[in-house]
Amino acid sequence: MTRQGRLLEIGPTDNTSDQRTPRQLLRLIPEEARASFIPVVPARYASNPHEWDMTRVAPDRPRADGVPIEVTGSVKTQSGAPVRHALLEVWSANHYGRYRHVEDMSGLQLDKNHLGLGRVLTDEDGNYRFLAISPGAYLARPDIGRWRPKHIHISVSGGASRLITQMYFPDEPNNQSDPMAILMGDAFERNIGKPFEPANNDLDEAYRFDIVVGGRNATYFE
Amino acid sequence: MSPNRQNQLPATNEDTSGPYFPIAFGDPALEDLTRFEVGMVGQATGTPIILRGKILDRHGDLAHGAIMEFWQANAKGVYRTPATKDNPDVENWFHGYGRLRSHTGYYEFRTILPGAVAERAPNITITLFSDGISRVVTQMFFEGNDANADDPILQTVGEDAPKLIARHDGRTAKGEEVYLFNIVMAGDGETPFFDDLES
Ligand SMILES: [Fe+3]
Repeated sequence: MTRQGRLLEIGPTDNTSDQRTPRQLLRLIPEEARASFIPVVPARYASNPHEWDMTRVAPDRPRADGVPIEVTGSVKTQSGAPVRHALLEVWSANHYGRYRHVEDMSGLQLDKNHLGLGRVLTDEDGNYRFLAISPGAYLARPDIGRWRPKHIHISVSGGASRLITQMYFPDEPNNQSDPMAILMGDAFERNIGKPFEPANNDLDEAYRFDIVVGGRNATYFE
Repeated sequence: MSPNRQNQLPATNEDTSGPYFPIAFGDPALEDLTRFEVGMVGQATGTPIILRGKILDRHGDLAHGAIMEFWQANAKGVYRTPATKDNPDVENWFHGYGRLRSHTGYYEFRTILPGAVAERAPNITITLFSDGISRVVTQMFFEGNDANADDPILQTVGEDAPKLIARHDGRTAKGEEVYLFNIVMAGDGETPFFDDLES
């Protein structure tokens, strides 16, 4: 049997996925060309010290509406090695489900105290931590009443590790009907933050979200 | 890829970047690799080029809000990786990794014409993240380069090879060579995308 690449699946009830998902099988990378496909992201990160707390726009400003949460975890390669000094770029909607992005035309309520985006680095042991407002779910397809469940977007880049993912929340009613969750199947479980008791009584909830960078994004220079 | 996956941790699922990747995360230095830092002395050697084009969806409409990442060798054909740390041809002022977010689906990326790496024609790897997909990856080549005929990637795609070759479109007044390269994400004229997982 000849070796063939995968056919990417189209997210059900997702118009953009229908418009942008390649219809051809992905082509397998010939061995001689493999190394050329693995970018090494230079460590030239912009990260402002206050951005680890995305629940307020600046350290001297009040906290945004909603439930302040802590998100913490490790970033590892599939062989278990910590990814040190990796950049996490994080963005999420406010309590009302609205992004501060200028292209979010949903008309949902803005919150002038919500930062909603930030960059943090993993430490020597590959661990990270940030504060966020528990994001609101939002109606992604008003025409068919399909909601996006609460989620936080996280992009990881460090050396040859690269991943864009989302952390979801346990027991959310909209998890089941989400197109991305449907595509992940049983593996969706891995993208759900695990609740724990926050140590700081300034925070209402805390989630552990351990990230493993791998699959096709293997780290070739370990 | 290592065939021994027994002891490996299961990877976190890739997910869509969605439409709202923060524009604020943009870094001007990563959108123009012909100069290393804005307003600083220090630039890469080689021929400056402008790579421009459109990202199109299945209906031929512009795919707005896509994030593009570029990865290439320097003018001497050397990638800057941990493996080439001691190679004298690695340049201080060129890391070969670029990133931009295209608001409209048009893009323009300034860089240095990559040199040829052993057994390969000069190329730039392009990764796309966007709403609706998690990521797709392709590789583009340069019109008129003799090494294209023997490149393993162009050979793999056979008659689709022209879809991976950027067209030379003259040069600017400042001397930058202009190349045009469109990416069709799906449907008629679809760009070949690459992966290293078997189905
Ligand atoms: Fe989102």
